[in-house]
Amino acid sequence: MNAKDTRAAVSSPLAALSKCANALWSRPSVSISGLFVLLIAALAVLAPLVAPTNPYDLATVSILDGRLPPGQKMLDGTVALLGTDGAGRDVLSAILWGLRTSLIVAISSATIALTVGLTVGLAAAFYGGRLDAFLMRIVDIQLSFPAILVALVLLALLGKGIDKVIIALAIVQWAVYARTIRAAAMVERRKEYFEAATCLELSNGRIIWKHLLPNSVSSLIVLATLQTAHSITIEATLSFLGVGVPITEPSLGSLISNGFDFILSGAYWITFFPGIMLLATVAAINIFGDQLRTIINPRLSR
Amino acid sequence: MFAFILRRTIQSVIVLFVMSLLVFCMINLVGDPVDMLVNPESLPDEIERVRRDFGLDQPVYSQYWHFLKGALSGDLGKSYVFGRPALALMAERFPATLELAFCALIIAVTIGLPLGIYAGLRPDGFATRIMMGMSVLGISIPTFWLGLMMIILFSVILGWLPVSGRGDIGVFLGIESSIFTMDGLRHLIMPATNLALFKIAMVMRLARAGTSEVMAQDFIRFARAQGLPRKRIIKSHLLPNILIPIVTVIGIEFGTLIAFATVTESIFSWPGLGKLVIDAIINLDRPVVVAYLLFVVALFLTLNLIVDIIYAALDPRVRLQGDDT
Repeated sequence: MNAKDTRAAVSSPLAALSKCANALWSRPSVSISGLFVLLIAALAVLAPLVAPTNPYDLATVSILDGRLPPGQKMLDGTVALLGTDGAGRDVLSAILWGLRTSLIVAISSATIALTVGLTVGLAAAFYGGRLDAFLMRIVDIQLSFPAILVALVLLALLGKGIDKVIIALAIVQWAVYARTIRAAAMVERRKEYFEAATCLELSNGRIIWKHLLPNSVSSLIVLATLQTAHSITIEATLSFLGVGVPITEPSLGSLISNGFDFILSGAYWITFFPGIMLLATVAAINIFGDQLRTIINPRLSR
Repeated sequence: MFAFILRRTIQSVIVLFVMSLLVFCMINLVGDPVDMLVNPESLPDEIERVRRDFGLDQPVYSQYWHFLKGALSGDLGKSYVFGRPALALMAERFPATLELAFCALIIAVTIGLPLGIYAGLRPDGFATRIMMGMSVLGISIPTFWLGLMMIILFSVILGWLPVSGRGDIGVFLGIESSIFTMDGLRHLIMPATNLALFKIAMVMRLARAGTSEVMAQDFIRFARAQGLPRKRIIKSHLLPNILIPIVTVIGIEFGTLIAFATVTESIFSWPGLGKLVIDAIINLDRPVVVAYLLFVVALFLTLNLIVDIIYAALDPRVRLQGDDT
């Protein structure tokens, strides 16, 4: 084994990435779904600029505008394209701001879960033995419970608040990442470049971060995409149940829950449109993840 | 084999114990349940008296010790809200949840199985492609929102089905259930379908995979060569072979159905366990939350244990692998 082989092995994820980029442009379905995801993310980031009104500025929201059906004019002259809710807020603006909250929660929890999962998974794969057995047993136990239940339990224990929801979702997700990265790292461990790195007596930290991590991480790209979609749904469900984000900073789930009180009186738009946005967001991310998978692992495509 | 079962049982008991400790200690960090117990206008010494009566003035470890002693003799504490034993409340609500989960399973199988078999028999058919395309959409639809849409469509616009509750309860062979009355069925159909939705896709996938695997086998080819009609092949050669794995997975998934019922029950105000626990979480009714969690943990540990034992009985390698950890 010489150093050249080691370098070649290390650069392979870069090669994989550029292959991805090429495939992105050659397959229109991937770029279309990717663009759609980007568009949704842009809407969330730019919500304060693109939303017709600020739904949380009490000075401009009037209760007299309450429950206007879609297309009606509000008191200040703006047209409520998707109607208004019980408190007179423009539903379209509320959706854009809610999307922001939903994405913030999903992305921050995914980042924390990914970091913890990576560390645990790599440590388990690298050190093996008792540590591996112990960590994987915890992962097994946690994964034997449905995600929504674990999140519900955690929120019952932690209380309400955006930060609490993020922590709960991070705890729900880390185990999946840990198991996946461990499986990938176990395969890498048996390869020759790893043996070479060990023979060179590189430090453990260096082997893990410079060799094991870059070569195992590609297995997480698709997973992270699909997990993010999943955690958006879980957050929405929790907020709908009234244990998620507080009503002062509503996510898409809290908006749907808010509209629940009005569906019997026929004001369907307060629940319907936030749900459509939620569905569009989750579906876009899921389809994008599915397409990514067919590129990274062509064997799986039907 | 006996050692394997014993070790797994001990492991489960340890997990249950650790969970009870974690849940009990952490839940005591959230809010002050005394605020829920007394009238807001009570005098301070009245509040102190209530705090003492419920043992809430004690340090957490002695509260836990008290709880543990009670739990071992089948007493998980009294609900703050209802003033009745938490376990009795749960036993009262459990049949409604069981009924809902059971009906959801039946709906999932009656819809998912034929669709899955069809997709397996005609992998390139037009309908199969549509179904597979829909399945991506299917996993993306938030089930709770779909439940609300069902209410809007069937209750508000069409006025066919009632919005909430369990309806009349009939008794048949000593079992009380809404299945036995027309009114009960009308109440049951929407929540059960809603709960079934995310299992339909699962049953469909399993049936599809099973069908395409079994149809390639020799005995199917021989049955065809014998000139048996297609219907007969499906009924007596295909179905028995794909049903075994499906039934196994459904058994494991029964626990998830009960967990997911919390969401469905909240939407349709179904008076089951899930509704009880959501209300308990919002009202800081600690004993009910703890009792529910321990019940669910025990349920899942038991289901997993049974599955592991069956696997170990069927596959000796699992047992041997378990020995060196």
